[in-house]
Amino acid sequence: MKRSQRVYERLARAFPHEFKLAHGDEMLETGEAAMAYLEKRRGWTGMARLLADAAVRLPLEYLSEMRSDLRYAMRALIKSPGFALVGILSMGLAIGLTTNVYSCNWALLTRPMQGVAHASRLVMAEKPVSYFYVESYREQKSVFAGVAAFQTGVPFNVRVPGAEDGKQQRIFGQLVSPDYFQVMGLDAERGRLLSPAMDRAGDAPTAVISDKFWRMRLGSRSDAVGLVLRVNGQAVTIVGITSRGFEGAFPAESASELFVPVTAPAAVAPELANDVLHRRNAREFLALALLAPNVTPAQAESAIDGVTRRLDANDPSAPPQTDKAKRVRFLPAGTRVPIPPELKRALEGFFGLLMSIVIVIACMNLGTMLMARGANRRKEFAIRMSIGASRFRLARQLMSEGLLLSLLGGLLGFGLAYLLNVLNVQLHQAVDAPGIPDLSVDWRAALFAFVAALVCGVGLSVAPALRAARSELTPALKEGSAMQLPGHRRFGLRNLAMTAQLAGSLMLLLITGFVLVGFARGYQVQANFDPKTMAMASIDPVRDGETPEKALDLFSKLPQRLKDSGKFSSIALTTLPPFATVDDDDSEQLTVDDPRAAQRVQQPAIKESVGSGFFAALDEPMLSGREFNDADERSLMEPAPADAARMLPLVINETAAKKLFGSTNVIGKHLRDRSHGYEVVGVVHDLKSGMGIKQAIAYVAVSRDDFARPPAAGITILARTRAGVNGVEAVRDVVSGLDSKLVLFHVETLSEQLAMSRRGIRSAMLTYGGIGGFGLILSAIGLAGVTAYAVAQRKREIGIRMALGANKGQVLRLVLREGITLIAMGTLLGFAGAALVSKALEAVTSVLADALAMGTNDPRLLVGAPALLAALALVACYVPARAAVRIDPLKALRTE
Amino acid sequence: MTKRRVEDFLPLKPQWFHILLALAGEEQHGYGIMQEVLERTMGKVRLWPATLYGSLKRMIEAELIEESSKRPRPELDDARRRYYRLTSLGRQVLDAECERLQGLVHAIQTKRRMVTG
Repeated sequence: MKRSQRVYERLARAFPHEFKLAHGDEMLETGEAAMAYLEKRRGWTGMARLLADAAVRLPLEYLSEMRSDLRYAMRALIKSPGFALVGILSMGLAIGLTTNVYSCNWALLTRPMQGVAHASRLVMAEKPVSYFYVESYREQKSVFAGVAAFQTGVPFNVRVPGAEDGKQQRIFGQLVSPDYFQVMGLDAERGRLLSPAMDRAGDAPTAVISDKFWRMRLGSRSDAVGLVLRVNGQAVTIVGITSRGFEGAFPAESASELFVPVTAPAAVAPELANDVLHRRNAREFLALALLAPNVTPAQAESAIDGVTRRLDANDPSAPPQTDKAKRVRFLPAGTRVPIPPELKRALEGFFGLLMSIVIVIACMNLGTMLMARGANRRKEFAIRMSIGASRFRLARQLMSEGLLLSLLGGLLGFGLAYLLNVLNVQLHQAVDAPGIPDLSVDWRAALFAFVAALVCGVGLSVAPALRAARSELTPALKEGSAMQLPGHRRFGLRNLAMTAQLAGSLMLLLITGFVLVGFARGYQVQANFDPKTMAMASIDPVRDGETPEKALDLFSKLPQRLKDSGKFSSIALTTLPPFATVDDDDSEQLTVDDPRAAQRVQQPAIKESVGSGFFAALDEPMLSGREFNDADERSLMEPAPADAARMLPLVINETAAKKLFGSTNVIGKHLRDRSHGYEVVGVVHDLKSGMGIKQAIAYVAVSRDDFARPPAAGITILARTRAGVNGVEAVRDVVSGLDSKLVLFHVETLSEQLAMSRRGIRSAMLTYGGIGGFGLILSAIGLAGVTAYAVAQRKREIGIRMALGANKGQVLRLVLREGITLIAMGTLLGFAGAALVSKALEAVTSVLADALAMGTNDPRLLVGAPALLAALALVACYVPARAAVRIDPLKALRTE
Repeated sequence: MTKRRVEDFLPLKPQWFHILLALAGEEQHGYGIMQEVLERTMGKVRLWPATLYGSLKRMIEAELIEESSKRPRPELDDARRRYYRLTSLGRQVLDAECERLQGLVHAIQTKRRMVTG
């Protein structure tokens, strides 16, 4: 029985200090007495009850202590509301902001599309292929459970029966192979989706509409299934509605509302003309594949590489067989943005880094504030220790204060994240931005931020707690907070904290600033005229039901009619609105056609079709040569001659000229691309637009093909108005006078269009600006905390100095000098960190690289950010220093 | 902490009831309370030490009992022991609990009469 006695004693000793102080001895005594009795009367069962009782009560007593700790901590925080508020706010802001930013990006990157089964197994080929290729891929049953083909961003002019004005609307949708929805694993909300069995070539045209189409354009009418729409002038029957939230594959490119099977006749979709389904080299479809279970994208890529190479052998435009690179690359298609895995990792890393910096700064704030507070409360601790509180008890007390702050901060953070989220959703709904998923707070991010905050809150309160517990009682009881005159340690905890704080904040401010300025500059458009005076409107006669011949006729008459109206000073037609951002992916390889040259010069350039007078309409003088004239345009209106040697006129921009020829004196030089030979007739300045200011652009004259089959953006009319004319209305009048059937879309002035395109930037600016501004607030709080702590620690030293005759100025200088040294060190470290991080970011992602390249040399940032921080830091040093010189030397010296 | 009302404690936890009852007559120390309860219930209810002292601690916090400064005669006193007595709130709570239990007994008797009668 000796052993059970020892166990009981051990258990009794393990009880919390306060409990033992009050009842420890008695509990031992009572236990021993009971034990003697129990041994005689009840044997081992009684003994077991006794031990079990102690074992069960032990954790309960600790819990109860913790509760009273927290209650005490709450009281302590309520007593210093300023400290509590700042601590909770900074923690809450950090958690809320990081959670929100991460949630949004996380949602974009990884959240599966709504309603799509097996989203994780869905992949999409990066480059378009012909329909024939897709059919061959479909045969690879060992790697694919299904392969569908689709074209996205396909425009349809749709007339809804019973619509108020009977007007057509331009709607974007997809042309899909009939097995598309099976591959997606999507269910119909109503009716049926397409299927190879039901939708065959030659059947009456059918289409599936999205849930959004049904709600927004059909007013959720119950007879929607079976309704006949006029699509591009043809009757098409709605057979089903997709499940809610579905916007087609690759929604980031274009949110789709209408899904037309490729079996439809070409009249419904001109994209299907020219036997596009059977021409092997018509690379116009994206392959969407459902991987067989347990097959990775890389395995699938290898598996179909051979197939693709065999098919490519028959296509002269394909890369040569010697090219070792993989022919097909799969991107994840189950999420909203098909991001290649390596880019996804880089982006996640970027946001993870931003998030960590913010949280670390907030935590450092909390830590330094707790430290300062601990230093100021030494007297309180000394008193509590002298009346019997244990050191452990005091340490626990400080830690519970840290815990409470983090908990409250966490709660505030969750609230804030939720609120920001609601705002975000409303913002996106207000602008109806495409490709924005259902944003909701990501619990993983929230959990991460919360746990990080808890760990930091508790962890950072340990240091001051231990320090406080080490205090010597007598001097602490006598007067103030500082016991020993702390030696001036250059690398003390406090100095390190302040330097790190500054460096971290500067880094955050600089990186966000770089990205921000980069974005802003990238999207800065410099028109040579007032953008309000340019009216823009797009038309697409073919999709309005006109024949290609009629369309050609229309376009030949339209410019003259506009000129005749007398309301416009200049007019041009184009396939792409000016200053629109173009993807590098749309570029085509141009080769210098010079038989004497030793080696072939090749350069990818973006190809844009513009009409005669395009640059004149933009007030853009030619650098050399001429721009397209009516003669060029007329010659291109003829059916394409068989003569392949014919040289088409080409205008290139400055960047393209320098990259291809090394100079801008290039008039008359020859170039060629996959299908044509060109002669350079003019060189033009780079239009200042888009992220890539230095994009090489080749302008070709609008041709018969463009008019007969306009691209998704239609043919855009640019019309510069004379003063006092409502250009938009004038264009509308002329067009309807020419053909009342025509639907004008994207009708706006250039300034309106520019404002639209800046919206994305505004939201990015809000995000990054928010993070940067937040870093600033945090660092201000932190600096004030650190310096307040420093001054509190040096109170006695300052008192002695003043007693020995130092005047206020000298003391102020002393405090400020130290502050300035720290600020300088922090600034240097911050710059170095920012440089490192932006280099690393540039290396991993081209998206940020462009922005960073433009942002990193902005003097406002390079000088402004550190100056702002330094000013803040100086104020944060000055205020407590002012307080320090008011210290009564007598009081400070009393501890001696 | 705001002062708690008598009703807040009802129904009283059994071990609290026994402790209050043990202190109703005289001031007692922990071991004494344990013995008293054991005798009164003829060995049926034993307040195990950890539960006993845990309850005492909480009852002091709840202001139902308090430590007494009166000590027994030196030859009987053990310096380690603390003595407890009822506070006026403790007495009120005990009264209220007794009344509640009496009401319960009354209800049981009425029921029994209805069944047998």
